[in-house]
Amino acid sequence: MQLRNKRRGNVQATLAGLAAGLFAASAASAADDTGSRIDSGISFYQEAGGRVRAIEPALNGTFDFGGQSILTLGIVSDTLTGASPNGAVPSTKTQTFVTPAHSQSSSSVTSASGGGTVVVVPSKTGPATVTRQYTVSPGALPLDPGFSDQRYALNLGWSQPIGGLRTVSVGGSYSTEHDYQAISATAGIAQEFNDKNSTLNLAVNFESDSSRPIGGTPTPLTTMSGELKGPNASRTEADVVLGLTQIIDRFWIAQLNVQYGTSQGYQNDPYRIISVVDPVFGLPTNYLYESRPRSRTKESVFLENKIHIDDDIVDVSARYYRDSWGLSSTTLEVSDRSALSSDLYFEPNVRWYRQNAASFYRSYLVGSQAIPQFASSDTRLGSFDALTFGVKFGLAVGNNSELTLRTEYYQQTGNQHPSGAIGQLAQQNLFPTLRTANIMLGYSFGL
Amino acid sequence: MATRRMQLNAYPLETALDEHIYFSKEGSSGGRGFAGGGCGCN
Repeated sequence: MQLRNKRRGNVQATLAGLAAGLFAASAASAADDTGSRIDSGISFYQEAGGRVRAIEPALNGTFDFGGQSILTLGIVSDTLTGASPNGAVPSTKTQTFVTPAHSQSSSSVTSASGGGTVVVVPSKTGPATVTRQYTVSPGALPLDPGFSDQRYALNLGWSQPIGGLRTVSVGGSYSTEHDYQAISATAGIAQEFNDKNSTLNLAVNFESDSSRPIGGTPTPLTTMSGELKGPNASRTEADVVLGLTQIIDRFWIAQLNVQYGTSQGYQNDPYRIISVVDPVFGLPTNYLYESRPRSRTKESVFLENKIHIDDDIVDVSARYYRDSWGLSSTTLEVSDRSALSSDLYFEPNVRWYRQNAASFYRSYLVGSQAIPQFASSDTRLGSFDALTFGVKFGLAVGNNSELTLRTEYYQQTGNQHPSGAIGQLAQQNLFPTLRTANIMLGYSFGL
Repeated sequence: MATRRMQLNAYPLETALDEHIYFSKEGSSGGRGFAGGGCGCN
């Protein structure tokens, strides 16, 4: 009986993970035999070098209405502050950047605000132009010190068995922040077969995003300025996942997912610029807003195995990804949950990630050459390796409650000195290593 | 096997946190499910 329940649990867990598409609202935790429960947590995230800091409390409720009819509800809040790379290359000279500011005023003032100096230029014919100006020291990575945002996200999902072997699921999510809004809807169906040892899952997700940059949406490849820019921009995305979950034996479960997605519309980072340098000395002569294709298709294959070996539970997963921008990646991840006592366990984990750059990624543009149609210096689209090391401790509290503490370190390294760098750029670090740490405290309990 | 710890996504809050961080720092996403959760992630 337990195994049968477990099989049903895995059906719903898998389906919820796919169809709801909302990891925080996944019915996975409810789908096992513990019934309704509340999962809560708060995480603290920090990037080295005074970059982004985030505090993220999250709450996920899973409510079993009997007969495996499950409602999930999740809410997340992100508070982000700090400094974010603006995309320009370092220089041997001081660099000054100007960008639209948060607010407008009719008077002419100069003040320090948001990690820069706010300059208000009055106008007799229209609203005043309010700009924020910041400088970067020679040799330093250009960071915009005014990065700040507050994000709220809400997830809702429903999973319902139909007959003995089929489960359907629907869900939706909404998230909003100062300059971005996203809404999505998901639906999925799972079919068990092979004496309930196998489950085939199909899920689709539709998402509609609205980008509302501070100061408006810049035209790609135009010069960075403090002028107000264009209206909000939108983007839509559709994804489909086909998955197979297989119970290998009593101690081993495996999952294989194939995913395809396509997105259309505005895909730029509206604040991201790329330096244009002179062809001899490599000194910046201009800064252009980045330009990415308005269409993107993605494909990925994901395989996960979870195996119970003695007192340990080992999770091994791998993913291969590629997209129409020419970006591809390979991810390997391993964790081992090991019991220290009947109430206490620890779980180290390691993740390795290798990414090959998008075809239009480049650190800078050269003034003497033709400007390409697409160009981005966003290192997230570059080639790099990333490593994650983490450890988690879990303590059972009472009959059906658990307290967890988890910490992770993440490091991203790329080619700091690419060959052919022009002039002073040969001396600059064109891919500074990113180091981050996060710690999460969690508490969950059954209802 | 009939325990939470053997679920493929036993701790969805942790998975969501991880996916959100990776989504905001890397160029690829997805695989385990629909990632992102909608953010500008600048």
